[in-house]
Amino acid sequence: MENHFFLDAGIPPQAPPLHFGSSLSDWQSLPSAMEMEMEIQSQDCFPTGYGLRYESAMVSSPPASNCNMSSESLMMRKLTGNSGEIPHHSQPMLAASSCYGTPMNSPPQLNLPLPRPVALDSSVADFSADPGFAERAAKFSCFGSRSFNGRTTQFGPKDSVEIAAYRSNPLAPNAKLPRVSSSPAIKQRVAQVGGTNNRSELAISQEESTVSEQNPEPGFKGSNSRKRKAVPKAKTKETSPSPSPNASKVTEPNGASNEKRCKLSESNANENGSGKSEEDAKGSSTRALEPSQDYVHVRARRGQATDSHSLAERVRREKISERMKLLQDLVPGCNKVTGKALMLDEIINYVQSLQRQVEFLSMKLASVNTRLDFNVESLMSKDTFQSNTQQQQQIFPINSSAASAFLGHQSQQNPPLHSNIANGTMTQCSVDHLDTAICPKLNQFLETVSQYPTFCEGDLETLVQMGFGQNQSQEMALHSQNFQGLNQVSGMKVEL
Amino acid sequence: MRPHSSLKQEFLKEWIKGLQRCSFPKKSILERKKAIKLSADIAMASARNGTTCWSRALISSAAKDGSDNNHLVKQILGPESDRPAVENKAPARQASVCKKILKRSCRIRRRGRRKCGAAAAPSSIAKHLVKKRRQILRSLIPGGEFMNEICLIEETLDYITSLRVQVDVMRSLATASVRGTE
Repeated sequence: MENHFFLDAGIPPQAPPLHFGSSLSDWQSLPSAMEMEMEIQSQDCFPTGYGLRYESAMVSSPPASNCNMSSESLMMRKLTGNSGEIPHHSQPMLAASSCYGTPMNSPPQLNLPLPRPVALDSSVADFSADPGFAERAAKFSCFGSRSFNGRTTQFGPKDSVEIAAYRSNPLAPNAKLPRVSSSPAIKQRVAQVGGTNNRSELAISQEESTVSEQNPEPGFKGSNSRKRKAVPKAKTKETSPSPSPNASKVTEPNGASNEKRCKLSESNANENGSGKSEEDAKGSSTRALEPSQDYVHVRARRGQATDSHSLAERVRREKISERMKLLQDLVPGCNKVTGKALMLDEIINYVQSLQRQVEFLSMKLASVNTRLDFNVESLMSKDTFQSNTQQQQQIFPINSSAASAFLGHQSQQNPPLHSNIANGTMTQCSVDHLDTAICPKLNQFLETVSQYPTFCEGDLETLVQMGFGQNQSQEMALHSQNFQGLNQVSGMKVEL
Repeated sequence: MRPHSSLKQEFLKEWIKGLQRCSFPKKSILERKKAIKLSADIAMASARNGTTCWSRALISSAAKDGSDNNHLVKQILGPESDRPAVENKAPARQASVCKKILKRSCRIRRRGRRKCGAAAAPSSIAKHLVKKRRQILRSLIPGGEFMNEICLIEETLDYITSLRVQVDVMRSLATASVRGTE
């Protein structure tokens, strides 16, 4: 199908700009054609897997000698910077973005409003039908988003008008392009673009960003460009493209506009700090969706065609990466890790360590309290939710008692301590069983615990006590080395 | 660690209720530990009020007919014993739905794989690694076998926060009880 598009499109980079009223098929062929160009360069078969397409796009970027490549590489660099945590995940995005970078090169076609009333994401409206966008893009040089934003100020007076015009355009959906909106330059462009149709490819980058923005929304689902999905917020104000004023700007030099698009998507990505903006930039069609509709619009990527499966997969992948980012914040030590596999590793370790902690603590509770019901009430009255600091103050004196209580369970070396143990049901066999049960787990746990410096000292102490209780004094020294930073540990050693 | 004091208090309340309902005869320490852990897990799961998949799966697995914990679970849940029955259906339904989704996605992926026979080696290796780890994660999270990827990660998020709360509360209880026995 894509091949068919490519053959039909046959749009060379210098092809004259298409009219805004171009047919849907033409529009569809455009992204695929551009994608094809990219892919043909890489000598990759077009109907490859989704990920492969991205990879091929990646491969194609180095050999490509277009100026797009520089912008693309820039974009890619920016995108990697943003989505560095998940390189595996971001790489296809980068590749895709590089694919989408080429559309920048493809001249006016990108600026053309795509005759796709349905599928276009409202977010795309920002870039949609953006001949003026291309013009503006041409004015900006390739650089990061910040500098890009700085230069947008020149368009100050015009922008408001354009933006308003853009907003008035009903075609522009209320796609939320937080990324786009954050960039004043983009807004300006959007305002310009909005006029003609919502189909310009310029909206692609904005769409992409809005698509990515929409990802966190619950209603977001992968779909082809025609599908409409819940659009939670319309962060982008330029939902409605300004119709008329932009039409004249269609004939802007496309190369510059391509660069601008690169930068815009870059800035989008940078500003929004996520790697999804590149996906938005790839939106193949603008969508004429009303802002009031509450569904997420997914724009088909360049070259990705409108295969619902690939789009759905892309959306699904975005969702997953989103949630992985949330997990990163939750799991300590995950910020330095990049890559899905490594992050999953960390997450697995963390969950396992937490589960082991629960086991240990329940065992400890079982050993310390023979009559939990009795103690529970007393404990409740003691306000067990005191701050850690308070607990730590009392922990030091507790060390000896806790350690002794625990030791009494485990070893026969402290017969006088047995009296401290309230648990009269401890038998030798149960102690042995306890040892064997706890020892391997405890060792593992101590090792994993040492990885998590966020544990408060008191927690570590209790754990260390348990560990100490099991082992001989020699092993105690070994274990204490795991917690070198803990003065109290050494203090405990002295005590014991 | 984010202190979810409200969640902590809720968990503690439920747990203590469960502990009180549990009879604590002079069993061996392991049985006691089992009862404590079970009551803690169930309290944690019920604190979610069935909003998350893992909590439902946890309760349903604990309340499985014929399991040893059944009587304990019934004791702990007490008047809310009807909840596990309801939740038993939910995970099953979800499981079937999730399985369908998984099968569909597997079919799609297989189709894609056929087309791109010469898959780039590093990417396939990476995918394989990630897949392996996802399997492990599925085995860790209760009820994880029935979730698709997105659900799995969401459930992991929720499960981790719940585990954290559980550990905090248990630790404070342990230290307080130790203090109390001095």
